[in-house]
Amino acid sequence: MELGAFVVVPGGKDFTTIHEVQPHITAGFENPRQLVCSRMPIVGNDVLQSWMDRIRKLGVQSLWLTSGRGDGTVTRSELAGFARQGIERLLVIKLNSYAEMDLADLVRFHCESRNPVTEAHDAQGQMGISLLDHLALRASEEKNQLSAATPDSGQIPYQFSGYAKRILAARERQELVGDALTGACAMRPFGKQMGEQVWIGEGVKLDSSVRILGPTYIGARSRIRAGATLGPFASVERDCVVDCGTTVERSTVLPRTYLAPGLLIRDAVVDGGYLEHLVWGTVADLHPAGLGSRIPRRNSRRQSSCEVPTEGFPPADSVPAWGFASSSGASQPWLQVQL
Amino acid sequence: MIILPFPCLSNAAVRRALRKELLSALRGSGSPVIVDLSGCPPLNHEDIELLLECMAQVAGRDTQVLFVAGSRVNRVLLEVTRIPSLVPVFNSVQEALAYPKATVETDAKDQSASQAQRLWSA
Repeated sequence: MELGAFVVVPGGKDFTTIHEVQPHITAGFENPRQLVCSRMPIVGNDVLQSWMDRIRKLGVQSLWLTSGRGDGTVTRSELAGFARQGIERLLVIKLNSYAEMDLADLVRFHCESRNPVTEAHDAQGQMGISLLDHLALRASEEKNQLSAATPDSGQIPYQFSGYAKRILAARERQELVGDALTGACAMRPFGKQMGEQVWIGEGVKLDSSVRILGPTYIGARSRIRAGATLGPFASVERDCVVDCGTTVERSTVLPRTYLAPGLLIRDAVVDGGYLEHLVWGTVADLHPAGLGSRIPRRNSRRQSSCEVPTEGFPPADSVPAWGFASSSGASQPWLQVQL
Repeated sequence: MIILPFPCLSNAAVRRALRKELLSALRGSGSPVIVDLSGCPPLNHEDIELLLECMAQVAGRDTQVLFVAGSRVNRVLLEVTRIPSLVPVFNSVQEALAYPKATVETDAKDQSASQAQRLWSA
């Protein structure tokens, strides 16, 4: 039975690249949108890449990648188009979680339970991972619109008890960072281990006075200036600058972020000029106070290279030669990725 | 007890006037001073510079200065700039008034209170 795979990357048109969030934040934003999105690296790792590796192990040759609609949903009729192409079983993954799931076990469960739709659940509920038979897709093609991972009621869910984290929730994402740094999950920081729970990527520039308290990760080409303190539980992703005397603690600094001198970044995720406080859930704009900003890309060559889809698949320094084919005539923009 | 509002500063002239008012109030006060940012939109770098000036003004003196963030965003920005490690920061004026050192002198400073009233209405 031919198995196809469909990955929905919520929240962005350009779903093939790492997101750089430009939140529309105005004054008085006590409960703004979250900063993090699913394509942001986690200690140098791309969660999409991890799902692609798992899908490849199923023997699937290619997958379809889409951003879905604004809320990351696709319609069942859109998925049914794949059934018409001869795919008899469709694995749909909404990229909102990192899970160390054996997809072969999910397929086995699906076959044994004879569900037309099998949804993966964990202790928190739906994980956004489902397996659909073509009959199920076609039967409801015309009537139901569903979340890419929403099952019909009455189906027996696949109960997953392994490691999983929702990566769209900033706090849980930071927990994943901590687990990756301490070896509590299978994800490993993408860099060279330099000491007890300290990983450093290629081309990092560290002033000799920088203090690093593990567990901590510093991504490729980041620059940490004099007197800065990183850690514990800090992740500074690639191409960042942490200026003199700034402390980053229990926090993540997302790629190409500049942090001004003398700051205290604690329990936060910072993306360019925006900071989300992990405890309060508040997003603050750092620009007016001159505390942080987005670092422009270095040159035009890099700019153009970043615009092609493959740039979005980190580890960014070793871009694999993914093959992409654009959709034509589909209601959703999607890409086919050769695994 | 003096409560000094820190309003939205629309232009340089207003900012200069507020700076003068704040610093002179801090200089002339022997009682705790609450700088209330409730009326202030998210702080910008000029606001933070002015707050630092306020802190410098009372440094080494008996005058105690307290900040009221007024919003979570301002609270976050103050935390990021490490100001709470030097000056107590509260979410509301009520919390600041309940702060022990501030309340000790409240009753004895009627004159300061009336001054605060003037500043509130300004």
